[in-house]
Amino acid sequence: MDYTISTIAWIVLFPFFAFVINAFLARKATKIAVIISCGAIALSSVWALRIFKDFIFGNYASDFYIRKVFTWFDLNGAGLSFNVNMGIYIDNMTAIMLLMVTVVATLIHIFSTYYMKDDMNYGRDGRFFVYMSLFTSAMLGLVLSDNLLSVFIFWELMGFCSYSLIGHYYEKDGAGNANIKAFMTTRVGDVFFLLGILAIWTNIGSVGFVEMYAAIADGVFTDPANNVFGISLAAFAGMSIFMGTIGKSAQFPLQVWLPDAMYGPTPCSALIHAATMVAAGVYLSLRIFPLLDVAGLTPLVAWIGGITAFGAATIALVQTDFKAVLAYSTISQLGYMVLGVGVGSYNAAFMHLITHAIFKACLFLSAGSVIHSLHDHHTHEHVQEMPRMGGLRHKMKFTWFAMWCCTLAIAGIPFFSGFVSKDRILGDALIQALHNKVYIVPAILGFAGALLTAFYMCRMMFLTFHGEPRDKELYEHIPEEKFSWNRNLPLLILAVFTLGVWFSGSLTGQKLVKVASPEGKLEWFSTLVVKPDVNKFKTYTSEKWGNTDTRVKGIEKSHYDPKHGMTNEEEIHHVHQVHVIGAIASIFIAFAGVFIAYMMYIRKSWNPGWWVSTFSGWYRALQNKYYMDDLYIKGVIQKGLLPLNRFLAWIDMGLYDRYIVDGWAGVSKVFYTFSKWFDDLWVDTVMVDGTGASVRLFNVVLRTLQSGKIQFYFIMIIVVLAGYILAL
Amino acid sequence: MSGTSNLLNWILWMPILGVLGILVIPKAKAGVVRLWSLANTFITLGLTVKLWMGFDNALSGMQDAFTIKMPWIKQFHINYHLAVDGISMPMIILTSLLFFLCVLCSWKISKQVRGYYALLLFLQSAVYGVFLSMDFFLFYVYWEVMLIPMFFLIGIWGGENREYAAVKFFLYTFFGSILMLVGMIALYHATGGEADSFSLLALREHADKFIGMNVSLFGFDVPFDKLFFVFMFIGFAIKVPVFPFHTWLPHAHVQAPTAISVILAGVLLKMGTYGFLRIAFPIFPGATVYFSECIAVLGLINIIYGAFCAMAQTDVKKLIAYSSVSHMGFVMLGMAAMTSQGLNGAVLQMFNHGTSTAMMFLLIGILYERSHHRWIVRPDGSKGFGGLYTQLPVYSIVFIIAMFASMGLPGLSGFISEALIFLGIYSKYTTMTVIALLGLLIGAAYLLWMFKRMFFGEVVEECKSYEDMNAREIFYMTPLCVAVIVFGIWPSPILNIMKGSVNSLVVLLAKYQ
Repeated sequence: MDYTISTIAWIVLFPFFAFVINAFLARKATKIAVIISCGAIALSSVWALRIFKDFIFGNYASDFYIRKVFTWFDLNGAGLSFNVNMGIYIDNMTAIMLLMVTVVATLIHIFSTYYMKDDMNYGRDGRFFVYMSLFTSAMLGLVLSDNLLSVFIFWELMGFCSYSLIGHYYEKDGAGNANIKAFMTTRVGDVFFLLGILAIWTNIGSVGFVEMYAAIADGVFTDPANNVFGISLAAFAGMSIFMGTIGKSAQFPLQVWLPDAMYGPTPCSALIHAATMVAAGVYLSLRIFPLLDVAGLTPLVAWIGGITAFGAATIALVQTDFKAVLAYSTISQLGYMVLGVGVGSYNAAFMHLITHAIFKACLFLSAGSVIHSLHDHHTHEHVQEMPRMGGLRHKMKFTWFAMWCCTLAIAGIPFFSGFVSKDRILGDALIQALHNKVYIVPAILGFAGALLTAFYMCRMMFLTFHGEPRDKELYEHIPEEKFSWNRNLPLLILAVFTLGVWFSGSLTGQKLVKVASPEGKLEWFSTLVVKPDVNKFKTYTSEKWGNTDTRVKGIEKSHYDPKHGMTNEEEIHHVHQVHVIGAIASIFIAFAGVFIAYMMYIRKSWNPGWWVSTFSGWYRALQNKYYMDDLYIKGVIQKGLLPLNRFLAWIDMGLYDRYIVDGWAGVSKVFYTFSKWFDDLWVDTVMVDGTGASVRLFNVVLRTLQSGKIQFYFIMIIVVLAGYILAL
Repeated sequence: MSGTSNLLNWILWMPILGVLGILVIPKAKAGVVRLWSLANTFITLGLTVKLWMGFDNALSGMQDAFTIKMPWIKQFHINYHLAVDGISMPMIILTSLLFFLCVLCSWKISKQVRGYYALLLFLQSAVYGVFLSMDFFLFYVYWEVMLIPMFFLIGIWGGENREYAAVKFFLYTFFGSILMLVGMIALYHATGGEADSFSLLALREHADKFIGMNVSLFGFDVPFDKLFFVFMFIGFAIKVPVFPFHTWLPHAHVQAPTAISVILAGVLLKMGTYGFLRIAFPIFPGATVYFSECIAVLGLINIIYGAFCAMAQTDVKKLIAYSSVSHMGFVMLGMAAMTSQGLNGAVLQMFNHGTSTAMMFLLIGILYERSHHRWIVRPDGSKGFGGLYTQLPVYSIVFIIAMFASMGLPGLSGFISEALIFLGIYSKYTTMTVIALLGLLIGAAYLLWMFKRMFFGEVVEECKSYEDMNAREIFYMTPLCVAVIVFGIWPSPILNIMKGSVNSLVVLLAKYQ
């Protein structure tokens, strides 16, 4: 296969053109717009499948990649030059990601035609699909990006789509609160991300992944000459970019936005706030893994992942809103991925990203399927509260089945996908913890979170689908679920991929993926997804767009090393043993969680109320999400930011402008009052008018004399003549 | 020296022809006046496009083909010297476009229509004069002349407090102009009153001479270039406006009619930063470098302080006015970097801010025509607007585009210029970059918060009578929407024009660092 514009760029351009067309079409021709959106993403998935097939079955070395660049714009002129390059970078990870995103997005688009139908019939236009198309386009663009800047661009675009879709029900005030919270919280991370980009760009003159890896190999990032604020460039840039991950992937302490994001329509929650966009943060941290590694930030990453995985799981325990449980489980699972990155479990973290995307998309779509059927005839709203559900399995069998598959997957029950990926992360965490004390807490949090995950997911399932219906009236109105292509087919397809065999070695090992591996059957993920070895990027030269595909296999030999770089047989044995212990522990934990939920909600032998009353303080803390939302909104914003703004605005207009700027008018008033007084009294009255007065005095005399009366003149002549005569 | 083309003359004088035309149209024919003005600005826009077509991107200095130079006042070597280069060209494009749209957006003005349009066109000519003059004296004349139509446009067609705002605007700018005048005369004498003493291009040649000179001020010996750089700086800073000379702006914006706000924010503020790039920087490069840190700090204050003040506003137009203060801070910051990325980013930001902020003011004007108030929250604490998203769907979409362009969303124009500015500034002032990034955060916060309060939720009772944008309004918003999207994805058309000239300025400044 040739990697040219037509084979790669179209993946992004199909949904993008769908967006452009639908931006004009959606208001009038909603149906056509829906078809265009769905068709475009379906076409993209065909293109993605082609790339996937070529990469995964193409018999290349596992670290083979293709990269093409073109100049977006330049500032060349007057002897200076500066180019801003864009390009694509495809390796196995990209290929897998592309397929996952397109297929999941396609299925969610199909489901949306079911879920959003009423919405559109009620006179709302098809803007949902407009934003969905733009979103998928941006997500695919991000996956294909060869540099941090273009990751950032698509990252922000996804943030915009997320903002718009959370605010889909714009007639509600809550939508406005939720989307502003989502956008602003992630933007806190994004601003740091941009800072990291600036740091890298300034120091190595490029933001390409490849150039970055090469610079890491050359020691640019660890060179003390490049230190920023006293810490190494690697730590500064790595931490800044990782802040982007914290924001986007809803990690502690910026996790507060994700539960609120559930205000949007459920399919968009499935696509954006569960399967893809939030996972983009983890994808980014995998791409910058060598940077985090060389900066020594991995323990911090592990801690953040562990805290998030466990903390979110605890909050999920007390949620009564159906979607809220799923939202917190998303945060928690993202925490596992980040934990995986932190403990250096590169391919397991990525595998968990993929398996999670599939089962979480399915969970949300199932939730949508449930919520959509639960229509409250009094308030005319969909019901999301679990206390009003129960016994739903009798009414919706397909949804029930699909959702159980996913629940077992997320709980980490063997033979399901979640087990394969999560177990590997926990196993690696255990190994790290045994070697380095720093990792002990994250590992414990990870295992503890796994117990909680199994518990709260089963609790959710038992409360909704099992037992007796608690709101009889609502239950009566639920229509019997009949198989329909746009409601159930996406669920069932996704459910099929929650099986572990797709990801583990047993079925799709060596036979399917033709990579020479000395160890026999291995998971294809472990074989194909490898940590980038920065030293191999030193000799890289970039390929320009438009060149015929040269297919230089820059990196020849498979880099896969089943021995994890260890040569000591004893040590390898030890690692293997720890992995086995970890697996057994996580199986035990998963079943324990399921069992506790069963005893509490089906057998009802154990009373959950006892826990609530015994640990009421904790319970309140969990219900209030550890008071973090209050801290941010009531504390930082309402007590800090807004009063500061009002104070500064008062300073500006009430003080500075009014007294200092307009004060000049007062100063000049003093001057002009004095001038006026001086002018009026001395210049005008005394001097000017004085002159005038003297003239007037004269004038009076003269006027009296010159009266115009001939008699008077006659007398005057006589008087004057008499005077003369007398004088003489 | 003169080029072969008279195009710049045509662009400069075409609006004056329009004014003369309006004077002969009878008072009763308001419709004819509008159409005449529209036709006039459209022709100017066409001429600008022609200029753009003929513009040679490869040249980093003045475009010789379009230069016009003839003696004006021979005794003092004052020339009528028009020329265009990569720094002024984007401003010319912006001016032509915005004035054309402003004629359309003022369609509903019914008070003294002839006077209004005549002054508007007069203003347009003066703005071109500022951007095209390469003679300091001519520049100064246009700089002052521009105040007259602005004064009357705010003072007659403005809001309740229009006289106060107009007088404040006039006096403030005039104060700056006087300092500039002193600087100009000082330069004239410093060069010995020779043939090119007023030529902005020739004055650059004397830059080294100015550095060594001293001038006696109240008995103190003060370095000539630093003193007059500060004079010029204040003159231009008032126009930008740079903190602490910014308080005329909110008053002027709030009181000015829509079109004048658009021109004020879209074009007139850029004259300040243009003045830096055309006059203060190249003539006093040594002082520029000496004061670069001060400029950066002032820019930073603009960004942060402007953003914080914007967030507290309850009048939506005042909010956008403060956002202009904040966004112009990015321009200042980019200029202070004096790197290729920073300066190109600054000039690009001048253009992009012109389009995005013009959109915001136009949109507020459209809303004002329906609501006759601009309160996000009224002084009594009740909601001014609510549920506009439901009530005005098309308007909301356009508003979203304008708002996100303004906050620098990638894919829209503001992002590229801001990213370039940050890239330019990072290598020099890392700490300031970190603080300035906070401005991006606050910038998003006040806009989104405003949007939330006005557009989300149930439709407020009094908003239920509002009609969505009509065809004329959609028509004049479209070019700006296209501009912010196209230049966000593909900035090269504007960057290619400017980069030669801007880079040569960077090279010039680099010699003094």
